[in-house]
Amino acid sequence: MDLKPDEDLQLISETARRFGEEMLAPKMREAEAAGRVDDETRQAFREIGLAGLEWPEEADGAGLGSVARVLVNEELGAADAGAALALDGTGPALYPILEMGGDVAKLPSEGQRVLLVSEFDGDLGIDQERVNGTIPWVPASEVDSIVVLAGDRAATIRSGFTIDPLRGAGLRAAGAGELRIVDAQAHDLLEDPAGAARARARARLYVASLLLGIMRAACDFSREYAKERKAFGKPIGHHQALAFLITDMQMALDGSRLLVHDAAWRVDSGLPCESTAASALAECIEASRLIGPSGVQILGGHGFMADYPVEKYMRESRALGLLFGGFDAAVEEAGRQVCQSDAPLELGLGEAV
Amino acid sequence: MDFKLDSDTRDSLDALRSWGRDVVRPVGLEADREARPIPVGHRYFDQCLERGDGRTHWRPAGAPSSRKRTSTFTRLLLSEEFAYWDRAVMIANPGPGLPELSVIGGGTEEQKERFLLPFVDPDRPRWACFAMTEPGAGSDAAAIATRAEKDGDGWILNGAKCFIGSASRSDWILVQATLDVSKGRAAQRAFFVEQGAEGLGPFKIEKKMGLKAYESSSFTLENVRVPAANLLGGEERYGKKAGFKTAMSTFNAGRPVIAANAVGIARAALDETIRFARKNDLLGRARVRDRIETISRKIRMARLVCLRAGQLADEARPNIIEASMSKAMAAQVAQEATSAGLELVGVTGGRGDYLIEKLYRDAKAMDIVEGTGQIQRMIISRSLVGLPR
Repeated sequence: MDLKPDEDLQLISETARRFGEEMLAPKMREAEAAGRVDDETRQAFREIGLAGLEWPEEADGAGLGSVARVLVNEELGAADAGAALALDGTGPALYPILEMGGDVAKLPSEGQRVLLVSEFDGDLGIDQERVNGTIPWVPASEVDSIVVLAGDRAATIRSGFTIDPLRGAGLRAAGAGELRIVDAQAHDLLEDPAGAARARARARLYVASLLLGIMRAACDFSREYAKERKAFGKPIGHHQALAFLITDMQMALDGSRLLVHDAAWRVDSGLPCESTAASALAECIEASRLIGPSGVQILGGHGFMADYPVEKYMRESRALGLLFGGFDAAVEEAGRQVCQSDAPLELGLGEAV
Repeated sequence: MDFKLDSDTRDSLDALRSWGRDVVRPVGLEADREARPIPVGHRYFDQCLERGDGRTHWRPAGAPSSRKRTSTFTRLLLSEEFAYWDRAVMIANPGPGLPELSVIGGGTEEQKERFLLPFVDPDRPRWACFAMTEPGAGSDAAAIATRAEKDGDGWILNGAKCFIGSASRSDWILVQATLDVSKGRAAQRAFFVEQGAEGLGPFKIEKKMGLKAYESSSFTLENVRVPAANLLGGEERYGKKAGFKTAMSTFNAGRPVIAANAVGIARAALDETIRFARKNDLLGRARVRDRIETISRKIRMARLVCLRAGQLADEARPNIIEASMSKAMAAQVAQEATSAGLELVGVTGGRGDYLIEKLYRDAKAMDIVEGTGQIQRMIISRSLVGLPR
């Protein structure tokens, strides 16, 4: 058993971290205001080779799995989660195709933006090769195609939809809009209950790992602030009330990260992963409900102002945690499975203990 | 990254599981029902010896080594499994217990022979214990007030100790005392006090809320005289060992063990809860499933945090933050798991004869022993924000 990533993966995550620190974080407010990521950054992202991380090798991807994804997403999410969504063209839309026996030759070409939407996000249905539905908010303004995941089925739509721009509560660097799908033709229809469940699990980990990044940024920023800012004659972090809060934030972050890594490892090992992935997302959302607002709280009035990033972390972690059914759907899914099984609890180890 | 267990560890866990189910749990329930520690002559202790427990892994010079080294990682999982069946019974086990490592690490060769040899192949169940806590000094170990005064070629000890595990049945007690209470930790020394020493006792066996299977005793030391040879490590050890504490402060093995115990208790609570819910057809309710999911998720998380601290220890890397985190988190999870379980069981839990209710009482101690949750947070805060001592 080894709970830490091997050296290759550490290198990839280090690359993502540098990219985030140098290219994304400095421009996060700019990207937020523009509702898009600039071309220079897009170009740089393509050049470092993170674009096809999980694409199969036969489709010119790096052929890496979920562990690589969650490590990279944490790094990008720590810099700017909205930009991370915008840069990863296919994003989680890749998963139904990979997991449900789709044709990798038909993967959209690089540089295209593909959106994954699921029945959790709104009234959405695939019926007789037609797709209809409305999603009140998607973190995107312009997309080339959409992968719809509903129940045991998935389909791709390339037209028959509009995205009406919205202000968006967060993640604006990726855009924001209301998605309307009217009688769109469903292409590449896939049906596979087990594959759909795995695709959902991977999508949840995608979100969970971006959340890890935002939470880490919020923890780091507010902690460093607490070491500098003085009140009543000493750094505010030396008052036990804040010292303990900062400790609890760090514990919540570290614990949820281990759950995400465990679930991602299960995905890559071909083990049942639906319940662990759902639990991991639930825990990340729960942790972000503590960390987001606490980050702002530690900075007091400054935290409320857009001069500091913590208000953005609070808004964006909350918005991110609404995607793919958010907390309730994750708990429902994991709970059903935990309560179903007759076997002794697995509790996160590879095999039943 | 690999979250899979190796087969050796799994085999050890399987063996421990049948021992736990057949022997440990019934003995623990009996002790709880009868509200007393497992008596010294109880058959359970003979079974422990038959099983190979109750021994030291120390060997006299020249003797072949006792066993292959078990990783911290594996020991944490075994400790968790034992606690799943009954944490108090585990603590009641005979053997050199808590002070064993101090004696091996800090004792003179003569002391190891004298105090550990009887535990190499014990003729009967034998115990030893370490006495640190005092009525006026728990978390603040620098405040220990038991005095040690030089008296010719020996020492005179005076003071009071409390909540000491297995004290009245121990062959010897390693007593922490101070030469000068105003000088804090630096003036503290540990002394071997043998059972029957004049001025030692009487022992008051405490009545406890939970964890009843092991004895927690309080006692006084009144002009107890011990020879110079009973000072742990001997006189010359002090003064030159300044580096010892620094080395120890980057690494901790005890807190993850308590964390693992807490995970074990929480797992037992979860299984009991699911069993009850299944039997009473409650699993169809979303509210019930949600709670069960929350408990199981928190347990998995606490276990991973605990194992991470263990892995760092195995790799000889600093684990102070991780060790304290595991302890703080797991103790809280055990509390939540047993409490939420009781809520699902409802008034049935009020009867006082359900395992989940016992687990609720047992679990509380996990947030107190080996540093309370608050102390753990202080330790973590020192690293995170430089909280002054």
